[in-house]
Amino acid sequence: MNEDLIQQITKMVVEKLEAASSAQTIQQQPTNEQKVELFSQRPIGQLEVETVKKSPSGAVVFHSTTEGPKRNISTVKPKPTTAYGNPKTKPQDNLEEDKLADYRKKTPARIGVGRAGSRPKTKTWLQFRLDHAAAVDAVYGEVQDDLLEQLGLFQVQSKVADKEEYIRRPDLGRKLSDEAKALIQERCKKSPVVQIVASNGLSAKAIEENLEDVYLSLQQSLNNLNIDMGTTFYVDKGRVAVMDDIGELLQPDVVVMLIGERPGLVSAESLSAYICYKPRHGTIEADRMVISNIHKGGIPPVEAGAFLGTVIQKILKYEASGVSLVQKEG
Amino acid sequence: MSNFNKHETIISAGIDIGTSTTKLIISRFSLRNVAGATHVPRIEITDKEILYKSPVFRTPLQDAVTIDVAGVQQIIRTEYDKAGIQPSQIETGAVIITGETATKRNASEMLHQLSDEAGDFLVATAGPDLEGIIAAKGSGSYESSGKSGQVIANIDIGGGTANIAVFKDKQLLGTCTMHIGGRLIEFEHGKVRTISPPVERLLQDQGYTLQVGDPQNASAVSFVTTYMAEAMARILKKEVQAQDRVLLLGHEPNWLPPIDIIVFSGGISECMYHHTSGEVQIARYDDIGMQLAEALLQNTSLQHFTWQEPVETVRATVLGAGTQTTEISGATIQIAPHELPLKNIPIYQYDFEGNLDIGLSRFEDAVQQAVTLYDSAKEGQNFALYLSNLPYLGFRDVQRLAKEIVQIMNKRPRPEQPIILVIQSDHAKVIGQTLAALQVKQSIICIDQINVETGDYIDIGNALTSGVVPVVVKTLTFHTT
Repeated sequence: MNEDLIQQITKMVVEKLEAASSAQTIQQQPTNEQKVELFSQRPIGQLEVETVKKSPSGAVVFHSTTEGPKRNISTVKPKPTTAYGNPKTKPQDNLEEDKLADYRKKTPARIGVGRAGSRPKTKTWLQFRLDHAAAVDAVYGEVQDDLLEQLGLFQVQSKVADKEEYIRRPDLGRKLSDEAKALIQERCKKSPVVQIVASNGLSAKAIEENLEDVYLSLQQSLNNLNIDMGTTFYVDKGRVAVMDDIGELLQPDVVVMLIGERPGLVSAESLSAYICYKPRHGTIEADRMVISNIHKGGIPPVEAGAFLGTVIQKILKYEASGVSLVQKEG
Repeated sequence: MSNFNKHETIISAGIDIGTSTTKLIISRFSLRNVAGATHVPRIEITDKEILYKSPVFRTPLQDAVTIDVAGVQQIIRTEYDKAGIQPSQIETGAVIITGETATKRNASEMLHQLSDEAGDFLVATAGPDLEGIIAAKGSGSYESSGKSGQVIANIDIGGGTANIAVFKDKQLLGTCTMHIGGRLIEFEHGKVRTISPPVERLLQDQGYTLQVGDPQNASAVSFVTTYMAEAMARILKKEVQAQDRVLLLGHEPNWLPPIDIIVFSGGISECMYHHTSGEVQIARYDDIGMQLAEALLQNTSLQHFTWQEPVETVRATVLGAGTQTTEISGATIQIAPHELPLKNIPIYQYDFEGNLDIGLSRFEDAVQQAVTLYDSAKEGQNFALYLSNLPYLGFRDVQRLAKEIVQIMNKRPRPEQPIILVIQSDHAKVIGQTLAALQVKQSIICIDQINVETGDYIDIGNALTSGVVPVVVKTLTFHTT
């Protein structure tokens, strides 16, 4: 079935439910309709539950199946609907609701969403499905060529053949293909101070939404600081450590890798900037550092780019990144 | 270069020069990066430690309308010595002139002298509203309003005024100031020595007579204290009567929900709770303070509220001034260090209402209005432009915005003055850098994550090691953060 269509329908249902819930308060007034009993509240027929009776160990007691002990089956009495029984619950409920609203403001997590029986409400459930679908789409999506063209980036491939392999074989995502190496050699400036690389990683959406703003802002920041920049390019289906291959090829002082993060249910378009001083084959992970959570709801992409410039300035000053930088900084 | 990972401390001073008493407090703030390692740093004050509390001094006055500046300086100098602090060590804090002292002839002259003398820190002249807010923060009412979910009124009564500030969930709901205080009638050798003008008017309105030289136990004196307690109860319930207006200083009570809890702080509350009874008393009082405290305790209308004991009594305001006035800017900002510190910068708020196009179309008027408001004589009073409710900004939007900012800032009477921007959202660094990229000739001070509005004044302190700046927002108008 058409995926777009499913998404559209789900969206429509969610919107409908949202509209309905705002109007719900009016609909909830009690009506004087006659009660319809769908099922009897009293049990009918033979009702016998065999219970293990307490008895001295070893003693066996048989009990009659026709004349069992009388069991009182209590029917649930309806609670009084007048204000008499619950005058104080109303403000109490509001207070609770206020508190929940306060908590919800502090986190994008799905808290205080209520439930219907033992399962989430339909609206919550559909929202969850929608967010999950967005996460899947982010992984399997592709970055549009015109975005890369606009920013003047050329594109190379890692050693990965397709998405399935990308997910199964992280090691291949950390290597450049032979054609990629040739193209980079041919088109890139050698030994730049800062080499910027973009990659879709696990979220093409992250690149589409944020790359332009982060990149332009970072470029401006480096310009202001008079830091020399290499030729930026895009690696399709890359992993963070592909920067080691790039470091070997181009011998930059610092590599900045703008890569799509593994999508979650809160955001599917979060971007990370991994930074490393002189990444080469054999670079340890502790020497890489990251500014994560760059997206609309996290660090504004434009501000992240501006901040990255000063981080790079510091890395260049101390000639170290990651844990080594923290140690040198003292 | 900024180092976000270092633990940093700054010394803050608070000085409160009130109608009857003057006190000083020295505290140390710890600053730390509270954001995770992979996030953009966020520097916050994580700990506040009181290093020194001065005794409570009698405010030195030359005569009824002049503060004895030399006397105040003497107190500050000796107390710094006792605390073992050099003025140069102090990086933030506030001097607050409160109550009736603020109306003395040389109040502003003294503030200037003190800010040079007492350390290169930030100075706040308090209006009555701000004074009440600071006292509520020092007395613990503000803090506890965040826990109980109830409406708390902090009533700080000193020598000259009673400052009411009402909070719920740490949100300011309203303020009110009254002519209720200990020194409104003073005695000498069992006789009335002075009667303040508002009290005189009150007595006249109510048909009582009291003159200088009358005995201390005259019935008119006890009438005044009882009436003050009654009027206080009416104000708190917002049942202001025509005859109470004589005791109002400024606006009527402006909070909406009814008050649940009342907390008394200030000198009068010391007379109720005796927190400092073990200390050596330097100041002596010969006024209606004790009687007023007694009248408030006895008043049946005030019993309608729940009473809560303050954490601090007489030192609530100085504690608030010393420990609660400093805010820390966002960590990613753009500043010109040689322009700092900046003091008494008026704020002009420009609200984008979430739309860049509409916002920019009316942007030019902003400067014209700010200039009309703060620099009508075109003498070159600079102002800070506060940009609020910006929409989500892409890089090209930031460029557009920056270009407009330069244009309108060049239309100030003295365009060469630094461009001071306060941004509500986390955008200060990119806007600052974009302005730098445009090679503007002015210095740029661009900070963010501070809540202010038109009518506020801010002081921006020197940059700290972590690259952030301490900011003191002087709220003169009523607003919630």
